[in-house]
Amino acid sequence: MAPPRLSGMQKQVLSLYRGFLRAARLKSADDRKQIEAVVSAEFRRNSNQVDRKNFVYIEYLLNRGKKQLDQLKSPGVVGLSSFSVGGGQR
Amino acid sequence: MASSLLRRGVSLARTAAASPSTAARLVAARPHASEAEAQKVEPKARPTTDVKTFQIYRWNPDNPSKPQLQDFQIDLKECGPMVLDALIKIKNEMDPSLTFRRSCREGICGSCAMNIDGCNGLACLTKIPESSAGPTMITPLPHMFVIKDLVVDMTNFYNQYKSSKKDRAKLDGMYECILCACCSTSCPSYWWNPESYLGPAALLHANRWISDSRDEYTKERLDAVNDEFKLYRCHTILNCARACPKGLNPGKQIQNIKGLQMSGPAA
Repeated sequence: MAPPRLSGMQKQVLSLYRGFLRAARLKSADDRKQIEAVVSAEFRRNSNQVDRKNFVYIEYLLNRGKKQLDQLKSPGVVGLSSFSVGGGQR
Repeated sequence: MASSLLRRGVSLARTAAASPSTAARLVAARPHASEAEAQKVEPKARPTTDVKTFQIYRWNPDNPSKPQLQDFQIDLKECGPMVLDALIKIKNEMDPSLTFRRSCREGICGSCAMNIDGCNGLACLTKIPESSAGPTMITPLPHMFVIKDLVVDMTNFYNQYKSSKKDRAKLDGMYECILCACCSTSCPSYWWNPESYLGPAALLHANRWISDSRDEYTKERLDAVNDEFKLYRCHTILNCARACPKGLNPGKQIQNIKGLQMSGPAA
């Protein structure tokens, strides 16, 4: 069973994911687990929620991910996390 | 004589009699404004409005759908003349979620760069076209990744700018000279030979051109100063470095020239 041909964008997403995992490998064991958990959760969530044809948004996420990866690679950084602010409340 | 004076006096009195009433009327017509009246602001007489439509590019990364052009109506009589004034008015009064960069509002900082009616420009310097010319379209800088609404990703642009820094760094310490003459007039060598010795300021400037990598006349420049008086009156007294108000070191630049003279212009 041959794997389906991946589009250029899919390859970019996968290489970004690989980049994150490689960067995580260089950190300490606890940090590595934390980073892997956050990153794989985010990628999985986006793959389920985001429409495959929504190129604009996927490109936006790719760019954001690349910037976050550059920051993660620097030696002082030990992990990443995100929180969402409750929107639209006055 | 006396009669004429009298007559004049009478006529004056008559006119004076006429005028106090007018004067009194004038005085009565303008009573001193009271506190309440001073606080009252007269509504500007605006029977006409000049409505202009703006079509602004909107895209929200939190609700990712296709980017849209949203219409906004602005009364130009209640708005400043520049596009940035209109954007701020829209953000203040109509839609606070409109996102754009801005800072100095006078065309110096370059933050508000965007595409207005097809042409790139600064929003704070672009006048709003007439309302009779139809709706104005405002979009972000073309072919850049959009972060939100009119804000684009400039990191690639900044990285490219940073990469061409090495040659430019060679000019640091020389281009800042403000020609104040503090250095030259503090050099004893220059006191004794002002006509023939070029002096630290001039030699600093000469070195600025010698070390400019774009310049092709390096050899000619070195030959022009290669004179016993023009360059070699410098005995590294270094008063110039002490005196420079901008913190430059002309002595160091002169040593650079002397070194190049010794080794020959290799670069």
